[in-house]
Amino acid sequence: MSRTRETLRTELKALIVRELNLEGRDPASIVDDAPLFGEGLGLDSLDALQLAMSIEEQYGVRIPEGPDGRTAFRSVDALAEWIETHPATK
Amino acid sequence: MRVALTGYGIVCAVGRSVAEAWPRLARGERGIGAVTLFDTSGQRASIAAEVKGIVPPRGEGAPWSRSDAMALEAAREALALAGLDPKTRRVGLIVGGTTGGMYETEGLLARMHADAAQRVPNPEMLAHPLSATSDRLVAALGPFARARTLCSACSSGANAFALGAAWLQLGVVDAVVVGGTDGLCRLTYTGFNALGAVDPEPARPFDAHRRGLTIGEGAGFAVLERPAVAEARGAQWDVELVGVGITSEAHHITNPSEDGALAARAIERALSSAGLSPADVDYVNAHGTATPLNDAMESRALTTALGEHVGRAWVSSTKGAMGHTLGAAGAIEAIVAALAVRDSKVPPTAGLEEIDPKCAGLRHVPKGGADATVNVALSNSFGFGGVDTVLALARRGSVRDRAPGERRVFVTGAGSASSAGALRGVENARLTEPRPDAVDPVAGPAGGLDPARARRLDRAARLGVVAASLAGAQPEDGVVMGSSYGDADGSASFLARLLEKGPRLVPPAEFPNLVPSSPTGHVSIYLGLHGPALSVADLSTSGEAALATAFDFIASAAAESIVAGSIEGPSDIAANCLAPAFRALEGKTRPSDRSEGSAAARLSTERGPVELIDVVQGESAAAIASQVKAPRGKAMVIVAERSDDLGAALSGTAWSDCEVRDVVAAVGRHEGLGGFAFAAAAALVERGDVESALVLGSSAGRSYALVLARSKD
Repeated sequence: MSRTRETLRTELKALIVRELNLEGRDPASIVDDAPLFGEGLGLDSLDALQLAMSIEEQYGVRIPEGPDGRTAFRSVDALAEWIETHPATK
Repeated sequence: MRVALTGYGIVCAVGRSVAEAWPRLARGERGIGAVTLFDTSGQRASIAAEVKGIVPPRGEGAPWSRSDAMALEAAREALALAGLDPKTRRVGLIVGGTTGGMYETEGLLARMHADAAQRVPNPEMLAHPLSATSDRLVAALGPFARARTLCSACSSGANAFALGAAWLQLGVVDAVVVGGTDGLCRLTYTGFNALGAVDPEPARPFDAHRRGLTIGEGAGFAVLERPAVAEARGAQWDVELVGVGITSEAHHITNPSEDGALAARAIERALSSAGLSPADVDYVNAHGTATPLNDAMESRALTTALGEHVGRAWVSSTKGAMGHTLGAAGAIEAIVAALAVRDSKVPPTAGLEEIDPKCAGLRHVPKGGADATVNVALSNSFGFGGVDTVLALARRGSVRDRAPGERRVFVTGAGSASSAGALRGVENARLTEPRPDAVDPVAGPAGGLDPARARRLDRAARLGVVAASLAGAQPEDGVVMGSSYGDADGSASFLARLLEKGPRLVPPAEFPNLVPSSPTGHVSIYLGLHGPALSVADLSTSGEAALATAFDFIASAAAESIVAGSIEGPSDIAANCLAPAFRALEGKTRPSDRSEGSAAARLSTERGPVELIDVVQGESAAAIASQVKAPRGKAMVIVAERSDDLGAALSGTAWSDCEVRDVVAAVGRHEGLGGFAFAAAAALVERGDVESALVLGSSAGRSYALVLARSKD
């Protein structure tokens, strides 16, 4: 694991902006521990599916549906932690 | 309204005829098993409600798809029961669907995505567009007096019934064959899997443990006739279509709005258009997909619409038995509702074991089905993009005909977005003037739209939003747009990814944009339009067909105002493969240049400066030119592109000496030019350049004439 948590966070913010077509949004403006869904970035269930697919493709880590998935998607920080603490499936 | 159902036919996983399928549905038998048509490894589910033994005809002519083959089987059954031969009367044809020949062309599309050299006019691709089914049915059963193909995702089949009722009310046909068809394919199977919308176990509508739908396939077709005409020819019937309600939720491209308010409004409109009240409803064939969101929303909508009588009407979903047949579902289930009326028998919800508390207020049909007097039944159909269509069916003669006469339809605004710019109202007159300095009408971040709300809109949808907005769309309006081939390039990309990386790595958010009606759904959502939202597929006359469809709905009182025209996004596959392949059918070549754009006009009963005074449809310009109303005062003919055939078609008519203008010089070439010709014609009449204008469009085997005139009393 040569990648630092900070690098991972930066990558994830870029991935979010790219995958969800958040045109005009500066990835750096996404706050590490701000909620992604509902009140935060205002993302919804379709966005969660798209992000899960993209994270699985890039990091090989699956994000499950249900409560565990909701934990992982709480914030950029939570996503980074999930990726660091779960094994790649391929 | 009173429309007789004199014939009906069903093809689905529980049976390939009404005689086979209906008794099984009435008992709650299921037709769900392992998918055999393609590999499902890595998918969330591996089951489907497949129809066994479908073999598309093969031969010299144009290629057939599963969708086409099932449609032919169901339409033949319907015509046989009705004792009707389309050749002997003025019979129309309306087909709803979502995938057309997707299953047959998926491999080729994936190869085209990977290799530009594959993007050549391949005759196999003639099976691809939605309109291919209409063409095959016309060839096998016709000729028909007029044919139309529409898509509103999973309410497509129901909207075919709605448009058929409109045609009968307007008297443009004596009878109409309406229905929906959708064959199973990798694209939709994978897409719904990626959305997490499928249950690995057979679907359990309204059940506390439901996890989603089971994908099905099938076709349902019915023969609709005016009772007086049917009676005069000695036809028999037991059930009538008596009401239609269509709304759009304008909420989300895949998820229903949780409160079910617009679905409830569709139910209320279906009842009120029939002169019925909630206490009259005996049975509801629910949309009941078995997704957690739909069934909870639908229960709420039924509770809202039926009020204190919600516990009176039997409710069931037949999707637990035949799966979700997508574009066919609205048609098959309308027929099931009609059979419930005919036989006073209500089918159960197969798979329902433990009723979800969120769905508990309804009177669910017990296991095994029930005998119950059914004089009035509703069939609910809700589609991606939130198009909710409800049909009301009743025992013959139990509802009085309240059909109003034909209404006048005005043009209150026009808008377009193309390389000629973003044009509003009379500015659209410029569409008939060549414009060398091409501009991008949706340039800049989010194409000038609100970036947060426009982020799911592809370029086609953005062009549509701009055009509809410039045309003056209002919140209660519908939106009906021509779309010739859907998003072939997007489908190709999705399929290539499926084949290369497997089903877990397809992009879920892109799938809803691959449904042909997706741009109209996005326009409805972005602009908050609550009227009927659907797309019409008719090759290079898709724009004219959409405008004609909007006219039919408004003139017959099924809608008040509709923004109608065309949306064509950029497409390399359309340019290099589909368009030249279809041109070759007409014995013509076509350059491979292809532009893009959207043009719309707002059609309404509200008085505007311009009136749409005539709409004629037929096989060719020559065949319809003589039926078109004569020009009023100084007049002009506006076409997509001039051709030698045009002069010949108009010679001998009152339009033969009129100036002819085209729109191709201003906006380039694509399948939606009819929408641009109409916007230009409306602008030229409104500006006073002419008193009337004829928009004439033709492509392989179809022609439309629309006459605009300055409004007068």
